[in-house]
Amino acid sequence: TTDSSRGADTDDTPVTVFHDPENFNVKHPLMNPWTLWFTKPPSGKGDNWAELLKEVISFDSVEEFWGIYNNITPTSDLALKSDYHLFKKGVRPEWEDPQNKHGGKWAFQFKEKKSINIDALWLHVMLAAIGETLEDDNDGEVMGVVVNVRKGFYRIGLWTRTVGKPVPGGGDGNNAGGKGRSLEQGKEVLYRIGKRFKEALGLKENEMVEFSGHTDSAHAGSTRAKAKFTV
Amino acid sequence: ETNKPVEPAQPTAGMQALKSARFLQVRSELVNYPEGIKSPNPALNQAGKSKGRQYDKDFLLQFQEVFKEKPSTDWDNKVKETVGDSSDSARPQSAR
Repeated sequence: TTDSSRGADTDDTPVTVFHDPENFNVKHPLMNPWTLWFTKPPSGKGDNWAELLKEVISFDSVEEFWGIYNNITPTSDLALKSDYHLFKKGVRPEWEDPQNKHGGKWAFQFKEKKSINIDALWLHVMLAAIGETLEDDNDGEVMGVVVNVRKGFYRIGLWTRTVGKPVPGGGDGNNAGGKGRSLEQGKEVLYRIGKRFKEALGLKENEMVEFSGHTDSAHAGSTRAKAKFTV
Repeated sequence: ETNKPVEPAQPTAGMQALKSARFLQVRSELVNYPEGIKSPNPALNQAGKSKGRQYDKDFLLQFQEVFKEKPSTDWDNKVKETVGDSSDSARPQSAR
């Protein structure tokens, strides 16, 4: 027989957006579909947070990401108290979500708002997330990334599924929240992710990103904050 | 108030291409990228265990100026409904 089984017929030849932006026939798949969310600033009329949190769009290719990014309000133009959240599809960007409630986050606050380029920083963190370079294949920790626009600072965070410990229903395997992942391994995974997050943000060695559990931060007002770690 | 005829906006060629394009088999399909365009970092996708869908920043940034199509013809409305107009949100420092 001929060698047609390799699918090398002309129609199938990949034409990318770089060859022809109006007539490409292949797009670059992402490892996971992602959803972009937005938190509107409160109007001051007692609206609750759930109503302010809006799902904007889901996407699963590199090309689609750029179509969205190039046509949406840049972070630097957002009003105070706005947030963008980019989360794996199916995970709500709230700590109450079943996939977040045993988790935590790495975060860094940029206090010199005028001396940084928040749009570039947020872009680079999103690219690290959708490009799947923040964690290794079997880590299973990264849930999403978030940028908060506040009066005195911008904050960029990376949410993880666990705080490095087994979680209820996490199974017996060496997966995020599984009993087969020792506490030491769990912490190692989180540290490695924290380092890559720090790298994506282009921070200097002495600029520390800090990890905290969601339940710790949820109760931070009323109880003493639990031990945090930094990288 | 609306004196313009309301015609459904036509999707652009780029929008249609995005919709009909198939997913590239990143690990098994060889793409000859145009000269000057870097391939996805092979080191990231050779590991065997990876599904071949990891992309480094330099590869991804190449798309920034190349693909600027809105996701859909009603995108501007959608942004208005969700993110809102940055212009009409209350911004301190810019009292009018």
